[in-house]
Amino acid sequence: MNALSLDPAQPRRDFLKKLAAAGAAALLTPGARLRAEAVVQPKATADACIILWMGGGMAAPETFDPKRYQPYEKGAPMGNVLSTFPAIDTNVDGIRICQGLEHIAQVMDRATLIRSCVQPDLGSILHSRHQYHWHTGYVPPQTVAAPHIGAWMAKVLGPRNPVMPAFINIGQHLEGHGESEELKAFTTAGFFGSEYGPMNLPVPEEAAQSVRPPRGMDAGRFENRSALFKKLLDQHPQRGAVSDFQRESMLRSLENAHRLLSSKERAAFDLSLESPEVRESYTAGKFGQGCLLARRLVENGARFVEVTTEYVPFLHWDTHANGHETVERLHQEIDRPIAQLVRDLEARGLLDRTLIVLASEFSRDAMIEGVPNSTATDQAGVAGDRLESPQHYGLHRHFTGGTNVVMFGGGMKRGHLYGETAAERPLVAIKNPVSISDLHATIFTAMGISPRTAFDIEGRPFYATLDGKGEAVRDLFA
Amino acid sequence: MQLSSFLSFRPWFFLSLVAALPSARAVDFAHDIVPILKKHCSECHTGEKKKGGFSMNTRGELLAGSENGKVIVEGRSAESLLYKVITTGDVDEQMPPKGDRLSAGEVEKLQMWIDAGVPWAEGFAFKPAAYEPPLAPRRPELPAAVEGRENPVDRLVDAYLAARQRPRPEALGDGAFYRRVHLDVVGLLPTPEQLSVFLADGAADKRARALAGLLGSAQDYAEHWLSFWNDLLRNDYAGTGYIDDGRRQISAWLYQALLKNMPYDQFVRELVAPPSAESEGFGRGIKWRGVVSAGQTVPIQFAQSMGQTFLGINLKCASCHDSFIDRWKLDEAYGLAAVFAEAPLEIHRCDKPTGRQAKAAWLFPELGTIDAALPKPERLKQLAALMTHPGNGRLTRTIVNRLWHRLMGRGLVDPVDSMQGEPWNSDLLDFLASDLVDHHYDLKHTIQLICSSQAYQSVAESLVEGGDRKYIYAGPRAKRLTAEQFTDAVWQITGTAPGKMDAPVARGGAAAVPGEELTGKWIWSNDQKGKAAEAGETVSFGRRIELTSLPQAAAVVVTCDNGFKLWVNQKEVGASDTWEKPVAVDLLPHLRVGKNEIVIAATNGGSGPNVAGLFVEGRLRWTDGPSQSLVSDATWLCRAGEAPAQGALPGDAAGWKLAAEVDDAAWRGLRDTLRNQLAEALRGGGPMVRAALLKSDFLMRALGRPNREQIVSTRPNDLTTLEAMDLNNGQILTTRLEEGAKVLLGRRAGQERAALVPWLYAFAYARPPLPGEVALAEEALGPEPTAERLQDLLWALLIQPEFQMVR
Repeated sequence: MNALSLDPAQPRRDFLKKLAAAGAAALLTPGARLRAEAVVQPKATADACIILWMGGGMAAPETFDPKRYQPYEKGAPMGNVLSTFPAIDTNVDGIRICQGLEHIAQVMDRATLIRSCVQPDLGSILHSRHQYHWHTGYVPPQTVAAPHIGAWMAKVLGPRNPVMPAFINIGQHLEGHGESEELKAFTTAGFFGSEYGPMNLPVPEEAAQSVRPPRGMDAGRFENRSALFKKLLDQHPQRGAVSDFQRESMLRSLENAHRLLSSKERAAFDLSLESPEVRESYTAGKFGQGCLLARRLVENGARFVEVTTEYVPFLHWDTHANGHETVERLHQEIDRPIAQLVRDLEARGLLDRTLIVLASEFSRDAMIEGVPNSTATDQAGVAGDRLESPQHYGLHRHFTGGTNVVMFGGGMKRGHLYGETAAERPLVAIKNPVSISDLHATIFTAMGISPRTAFDIEGRPFYATLDGKGEAVRDLFA
Repeated sequence: MQLSSFLSFRPWFFLSLVAALPSARAVDFAHDIVPILKKHCSECHTGEKKKGGFSMNTRGELLAGSENGKVIVEGRSAESLLYKVITTGDVDEQMPPKGDRLSAGEVEKLQMWIDAGVPWAEGFAFKPAAYEPPLAPRRPELPAAVEGRENPVDRLVDAYLAARQRPRPEALGDGAFYRRVHLDVVGLLPTPEQLSVFLADGAADKRARALAGLLGSAQDYAEHWLSFWNDLLRNDYAGTGYIDDGRRQISAWLYQALLKNMPYDQFVRELVAPPSAESEGFGRGIKWRGVVSAGQTVPIQFAQSMGQTFLGINLKCASCHDSFIDRWKLDEAYGLAAVFAEAPLEIHRCDKPTGRQAKAAWLFPELGTIDAALPKPERLKQLAALMTHPGNGRLTRTIVNRLWHRLMGRGLVDPVDSMQGEPWNSDLLDFLASDLVDHHYDLKHTIQLICSSQAYQSVAESLVEGGDRKYIYAGPRAKRLTAEQFTDAVWQITGTAPGKMDAPVARGGAAAVPGEELTGKWIWSNDQKGKAAEAGETVSFGRRIELTSLPQAAAVVVTCDNGFKLWVNQKEVGASDTWEKPVAVDLLPHLRVGKNEIVIAATNGGSGPNVAGLFVEGRLRWTDGPSQSLVSDATWLCRAGEAPAQGALPGDAAGWKLAAEVDDAAWRGLRDTLRNQLAEALRGGGPMVRAALLKSDFLMRALGRPNREQIVSTRPNDLTTLEAMDLNNGQILTTRLEEGAKVLLGRRAGQERAALVPWLYAFAYARPPLPGEVALAEEALGPEPTAERLQDLLWALLIQPEFQMVR
């Protein structure tokens, strides 16, 4: 397949031109308008961004920040449980991660690992609120609908390839479970308007369907139907009589949609074009296949792609009981595909300009809900102060004091460790804490967006990072 | 590589230095600088005051300096007079001359601000805004009518155009008017039958009668304007907060209020000071679990919601600090919030406590005040009275402006939530507002007044570009169909509206209709003859009926102790989980000539064996023939367990047995309800379920139906590429048109073939097709139209801008 090249030597975007384009777009969408008090956009170190989302709360001590290992022993005090997986070496001296992530361990020399991300204690630890915060940079509720970080990229940078939707969201079902409305609240372009919103592909294997003619309609019939639409349009009694902006704008959108549906890039959505060996190398299953899809989309010019292990209350990373067993399975789900994604992008020369960010809304702990002294209600599904059965074995409480983020490529350092958490409980960040605002500022800066970029909505500025105050963590950049 | 090496150092306006030196904390003009200048300098150097010839109203004036020359040297605090006078120890030179000196922190912030190049918020000025809208109502004198154009709207608009020597927009033709007024007033397309009657009518008052008829269709009107109000009152049938009582629906109250056309003053009073729990959801807002910022507590949400929805006042800025964009102050936002607060409310500035307590107050003290000492319900009553005070022209101006926007495509004040702005025609705005009061706050009167004007009945303005430079009225603007209008229109044309709804409302109110005699029997499986059914067991029932022609009306009412799901021809069309709530379904869209399958999965409840029963009563009516019954009895087939996939009845019915009648003693009390529901559903098929009564789905979301966590007063008017993709290959629309084409073919089976295309054009566009269009459509359909061909033609017609716009 014909991959578009990501030219690292691509000249710096002409910001003036961008500004003019954004200004023109602003005329179309009442509401958000780029602030005239322009900020200097930093020079991008990445052109594309892939978020690997560990929805539900990925426990740092069970993944990228191993602590003292406590094997399962009936009757052992719960307080002794820090990690339920032993640590293994990686290919970087001084960085050890949890057993079960052996493949990722072999690409850690391409990674920047942050062990000191922190979240606010929102009083009641709710996945959807923290996910909203992580994805928009703003704690809900907000008086205007805040845009997802992907929508910021779509709005400020636009698509990298004009036919490719700029913001693609893989793996999350938005219907059918208890918090689906809450997920929809941030899986949106908010006040930017749906032009910048996500293209949702909840099932990677079915992604091809979303750019294909509808089910049951072959390509010939699809084309005939479009042709009929155009012929009827030409017969319209007022054709050419008036040049009408609203009508033209609607036709342009229909034309754009049709262009993607009949473009060569739409093959990027079709996983069946990969060999069985490649599909297998990414691990069967939704997350692995989602990573493979993300690779194909980025190769074909996608700007922002999020791939999730999927957040479903009490499933996957949302371990309220049986944590060890569940995480063992999750290790298998994520280990090979992530390593493969890094290697594949590198082999194609794309890793340097593609920023991969693995993150989660918070971490987990066996004992502490929230942070020490939080008033948050304990939400562990299994109680007791001793390991009485395997279902007690794991980290079942939500912890916001020290969370892992792993970044690959996109101008970040390689084989770099940033921040540190305490060796003993409470496992809070004790060095270089990184807030969500600063993490976002880092991601935005890498993508060439100033954290102070702001749009006017309802007469007020709304910034890319909270109040425009996020600061990129400079030590992470190569 | 260090970060700084890839940041551009090219100066860029006045923020360049800040951006280029990421190590310096960014200066936040709005939050850090304005309060310092206000506190220490504004008394003598802002507004009309210009001591020493120095004003800091705007950045320009600030930089222009004083009679002593420049006060600030951009980027150089050390050389700036301002920095010197705030730091000097010389009492003759120091500023401010009296009062507190600036703290070290404040001095540091100003220093950074000057060094950063004196960044300013665009458009911000310390002086009050040039335009302050009047509060009192006003009855402008109407200009004389010209050429018999008597409608007050026309008298005002004609004078406006004449004064500017602008032409009047052209008059709208009958068909386009009829389509527009239907969509605007009741949200539905006129049917081809209605259209042809209207077009054939030669009477001069036919438009007035059509309009009166639409306003008189209470249910259609209510079910259209429900979406407008759900958006404005952020009410929905699912969403954040509903599940844990952090938020309450007002659906039932709102529906009734619209159905009965509750006067707007009463409507507002019942939302502000709820007489019952039914209408309290709007004021309660959304209580989030966990900690929220001070600017989003429930009392603050109350202030924001009341301000935005009823008064077009944006208190969102003022919830955090004195607004920079209009005149509203932090204390005013908190005063309104304190009306609702259960406990003492401390004023927070930018999320930090100020140590001051808010005192319940109202935004326009010239109309009266609120006694903060009274208990909350009394305070709310006072607020409701002030809100609807005859002197509060802001309330009525806000709502008539919203109505003008919905009907005419652009507000008299625009955007509609910013009533602080200047109207393009204040006489018209003020007239409409006073006229609403003169007509007892009857919103339908205002709609009637606008829609009967020649201004409304003229051709839509043709825009050459988006957005307004300097707006001058040139006729109504085209509007995009809302998600609900689009959905309803597709259901209207294809006859595929769903059989059930999500909104917890009594549709159409309690209509008294003649009852049908019930002949059905309560049935269950034969297995435990005479014994109670197992708790939780599911039994599937099936029935085939053969039709030689389609009836003109067909409906069925079903209930089951305890719950059921109903499929007709393998499509799920109804369900209930409580036997007290029977469900009536219009069968017409789902029936076909030939064999039809009815399948019901019935489930018993309880914790031990108990009585279970299923009841079905249906009628199929032909205009010129007998009616046929479809009722549950011992001839139905049944088998234990869930229904087959998609409710398909196997051809040989192997493993199915005959059902058994059960004693109906337990359910006799339900007979009146069943009779009435069936009669209601049979009455012309019953009005179709409207999209406004359903939870949002992917298609509606794609077409702009908002998530109602925030108040939304206007929907996007542009179709985006992602939305266009959904229209191209989204599953919901595809399936709907696929089913719709089949239903449509079935319905039109006996009718003249050549009439189909004109019928479609009449329905979709309210006009006849041109010969070229007929030729294309006929070619697409082919000599023997198949469902597939019709489906594609429907698609090609329904995504045309002509369909998606109300022009």
